Amino acid sequence: MFTTGSKFLIGSAVLAAIAAIAYGVTQDGVMGTVGLATAAVALAYLAGVNIYVRDSNIWEDEISTLESAPAAARPPADSVWPMAFGLGAAVLTVGLVTSQAFFVVGVVIMLAAGAEWTAEAWAERASADESFNAEVRSRIANPLEFPLGAAIGIGIIVFAFSRIMLWLSKTNTVVFFAAIGALILTIAFFLAARPGLKSRTVVGAIAVGALALVAGGAAAGLDGERDIHEFPTTEEPTEEGENICLSPDEFEADEKSSQSVGASAALAATITLTEDGRLTFAVNGPVEEGTDSLSLPRSNPSNVVFVNESDEDRRLSLDLGTRTVENEAGEEEELEHVVCTALVQPGGRQNQTLTIGAPSIVAPDGYFFFVPGVESARLALVVP
Amino acid sequence: MSRRVRVALVAAVGLVAAGCAQDAPQDTWDPAGPNAQKINDLDWIVFPIAGVVGLIVLTFIGIIVFKFRDRGQPIPEQTHGKPALEIALTILPALILIGITIPTVGTLMALNETDDTECVINVTGQQWWWEVDYAQQDGCGGISAPIVTSGQMVIPIGTPVLVRGTSRDVIHSWWIPRLNGKRDMVPGRVHTVRLEADEPGIYAGQCTEFCGLSHANMRMEVIAMTPEDFETWKARQLAPYEAPEAGTLAAAGEATFIAQCSRCHQVNGLEDADGDPIIARPDLQVYSGAAPNLSYFTTRNTFAGASWDLLTAECRRDVWESDADTIGEKYLAGVSADCLNSVELREWLRDAPAKKPMYADAEQLEATDGLVRGMPNLALSEDQIDELIAYLLERK
Repeated sequence: MFTTGSKFLIGSAVLAAIAAIAYGVTQDGVMGTVGLATAAVALAYLAGVNIYVRDSNIWEDEISTLESAPAAARPPADSVWPMAFGLGAAVLTVGLVTSQAFFVVGVVIMLAAGAEWTAEAWAERASADESFNAEVRSRIANPLEFPLGAAIGIGIIVFAFSRIMLWLSKTNTVVFFAAIGALILTIAFFLAARPGLKSRTVVGAIAVGALALVAGGAAAGLDGERDIHEFPTTEEPTEEGENICLSPDEFEADEKSSQSVGASAALAATITLTEDGRLTFAVNGPVEEGTDSLSLPRSNPSNVVFVNESDEDRRLSLDLGTRTVENEAGEEEELEHVVCTALVQPGGRQNQTLTIGAPSIVAPDGYFFFVPGVESARLALVVP
Repeated sequence: MSRRVRVALVAAVGLVAAGCAQDAPQDTWDPAGPNAQKINDLDWIVFPIAGVVGLIVLTFIGIIVFKFRDRGQPIPEQTHGKPALEIALTILPALILIGITIPTVGTLMALNETDDTECVINVTGQQWWWEVDYAQQDGCGGISAPIVTSGQMVIPIGTPVLVRGTSRDVIHSWWIPRLNGKRDMVPGRVHTVRLEADEPGIYAGQCTEFCGLSHANMRMEVIAMTPEDFETWKARQLAPYEAPEAGTLAAAGEATFIAQCSRCHQVNGLEDADGDPIIARPDLQVYSGAAPNLSYFTTRNTFAGASWDLLTAECRRDVWESDADTIGEKYLAGVSADCLNSVELREWLRDAPAKKPMYADAEQLEATDGLVRGMPNLALSEDQIDELIAYLLERK
């Protein structure tokens, strides 16, 4: 009378009932008891259904259905895709209440598992020949699986490499990866020298290497990146509070600045510090060099190139009056508003992109370019 | 003749007749300066050749389609290759292309020549209007201080002008068909195009690169005038600010302007109660970072990206249809109270986005941190609009 499935469900129901009683006796609160009792009732109900339909097996006296009933059909092969689909749904649900990244990962897993599951299910019904069905599945799924799998594999390798590289110090990174490179070369040489080696050994070695890489990447990623030093820019004052744009001295912001410019087609003006310490400018058009002011449009990024023809390192600074900033005490404070290039070596040039929101009449002395350390180098800037 | 054929014939005749339109201010076939003339000259080489080639090809296709149509006849014998014909059909198009390429490249190089220009004018496109500014320079007869205007560019006739253009937001394209070809204006880059007009007149154009919701409403005009008139125009653009007389409607308009408009619109010389200049900061309100300078608003005769006339239809006609000798004088007269197109200006001030589609609701602009694209609805009262119009009428 009791089928295999119903025995399992009856046993589970009895177990849940006993657990409900035990919980009720030993623990405070009723929610646990209610939950377990509900589970017992649900399992008992399912057991009843199972007994009624005899695990979906055909009745012994129904000879005609021996071949046509669903239970008579060949069971589908084992598949991981339903589990993967369920995992995707779980991750998606978690993502809904935690972060968007989980949600996206869940969607991706569900889509991939769903596609695989669909292809597999469809292929299983292609014919009665299992090998043919497997071939059909491969034909459908492999064009999707191989590139995606390769992309994911490469992504994991690159990501693991990057985590390790960012975890190690700059010097150690060089040493470590030089050693790894040498090790890979040695192993490859060894494998090439012994063509009779079992493929299982080769696969095992690669698997161990891959595992080590992923484990190393995960560990490095969890531990975090090394401290990466950020180079200051000319817009920030030095640690001593000195305004870089007012000084002819060299600061860290100047050390690695570019001394060449390629975007000549988009220039608004070229400003030159001449050998005799004057600032001259040239624009595309009939405004002659030496005219006493340069005009730039307002609220628009303008590329200005500074050319240093003097025989010392110099920077081009632009005085924009004052600006209001909020200090640490939350009070508004008026500060000098000066922007500048980094130090440019003799003969060098550097691009400066200027976007100025207010017209030059806002500054009592107007806007003007100057070169710290060269008193005679001054050029008015008019922003209408 | 079937109804379908008759409709097609009427449509074709209509299409051809459209080419005879007289009121076509953006007619590239009616050049008004040497640059547009070069393009026109090239057109008269390329288009006849292309037309004849097109006619021959279409005629052959028609003959072949008709003569060899399917009438149930057997498929004719198939042959492969006819070297003489193939060589001829390769050489002939190559010769035609070479014939077209030589004048085309020559024209392109001539149009790109800017060394001879004598005046520089900057144009900056933004959604959906053009700012025009004249930098301080020796050119243009000498400009002692920057001039900023919008929608209309004023140039002296017979003077090669270098237009240096860029954009503050998306790609726009500058095109005054009767003066030169079009030139894209790309943010972060500076593009040049040469303009020159032979005769005084008003030359219309419009943005020709799709740039968003009101692309079709982004127009511009070039006003060419004699060098003498141009000097007068420059002097007026640099005239000091004259405050309205106390107690007048315009004086109330000045207060309304300061309260409502000066956040974005600059009027040079306007001062607050302490005597400090009032500086508009459109970069804090508008995505492009700019709004038209209204210092000399009624010296020009269009508004809102040259989309609407500041002049009534009759007064506009009087200016646009005047001859070369008088157009400069009439343009320089600006907009008077009698000629003001107050209906459309009031509509604009009442609810600008309703008149010109714009993304001007700050609450719906998360992507731009609340910066609007275009002029928002300021919810001005009718009295405030009256005051502003009175104030703006004096800006000339």
